[in-house]
Amino acid sequence: MIRIPLYLAVAQWALLAALGVLVVVMFRQLGRLLAGASQPAELGPAVGSLAAPVAYSRPGEDAVRRLTPGDGQPALVAFVDPTCPSCEELVGVLDAARRAGELTGLRTLLLISDPVSYLQISAPFRSTGLEIGRPAQAGGLRSYRVTATPLLVAIDAAGLVRAAGPVRQAAQVRAYAQACLLPEPETTLAVVPAAAARGETST
Amino acid sequence: MIALSAKALIAVLLLAAGGAKLADLPGFTAAVALFAPRRTPRQVLRGTALGVAIGEIVAGAASLSSPGIGWLNPVVLGIGCGFVGVSVAGYAWHRDRPCHCFGALSARTFGAAGIGRAVVIAVGAAMAMVPARSSLIQLGPAGRLSLLAGAALVAWAAFSAAAAVAAGRDAAPRWAS
Repeated sequence: MIRIPLYLAVAQWALLAALGVLVVVMFRQLGRLLAGASQPAELGPAVGSLAAPVAYSRPGEDAVRRLTPGDGQPALVAFVDPTCPSCEELVGVLDAARRAGELTGLRTLLLISDPVSYLQISAPFRSTGLEIGRPAQAGGLRSYRVTATPLLVAIDAAGLVRAAGPVRQAAQVRAYAQACLLPEPETTLAVVPAAAARGETST
Repeated sequence: MIALSAKALIAVLLLAAGGAKLADLPGFTAAVALFAPRRTPRQVLRGTALGVAIGEIVAGAASLSSPGIGWLNPVVLGIGCGFVGVSVAGYAWHRDRPCHCFGALSARTFGAAGIGRAVVIAVGAAMAMVPARSSLIQLGPAGRLSLLAGAALVAWAAFSAAAAVAAGRDAAPRWAS
């Protein structure tokens, strides 16, 4: 009969238990990912809809600022987080576009959901000259449908969403910046459902 | 028996925590940044996070596979006390911030419960210092190798599980809520 030291038996059971727990975690996550893949979430607000106002605070400030689409100034709003590598990439590209003057005339806002202290761990976020804000209300941006990051939303002077998507490349940023400056569309059919959804009435 | 169980469990816990932290290094770096001066360079923060994660794996693997090495027990106890210190500091200054103690595997934040968990780990590490009869812990090369292989497997499984959870988390539930 083979005799094994008590410690070896105990340690092997501990390893087995840990592996069991981790396998369960992996299978649960796999199930979640597969469920999510079968029902792809919509990303970003519908193009042509009216963009919702954004209330936010700058890092280190308590004052609530507002981005009000339709106030006559086109805007690029980026939903990004310092802990998301693709977001760092987008922030770097946006910053380069700003330095090259490609964002002139646009209000560009980086909205983060991570704690403000996380900004210091990311070089692009730490060094950017773009405005950074954290939404004042967690659930106030539901209409932007930020189901993944990074998400860039181009809003024209009339407050209409002209483009929205997971942008990372310089050419895409240029296209979004140009989309913000497009002339106002003649038809406003797309505006009506968005306005109605917010409970606004038209006369 | 209790001391041996505590020693094995704490070692496995360190392996899982280290593996999971490695998979979510940006998240853990952010947690490290909470305790560093504001102007600490990113490379230093990242290096510290990497060092902590690898240190946990090495300590866990060594403690698990070499139970006869006496000086490892105080080292593990020191790590356990470190957890208590970090939990208390996190509770004091960064309450409700994610601690990333198990990388993306745990969404737990600094809080009173976290201090309780850290104290349990430290007590377990203290219990593991109780000397055991050498016949109970004497491992041959084969036994030691099997435990090392098991340790590598647990660290890898924790890494994979945490990476899978982090992939799902990148769908930004905070924004969607």
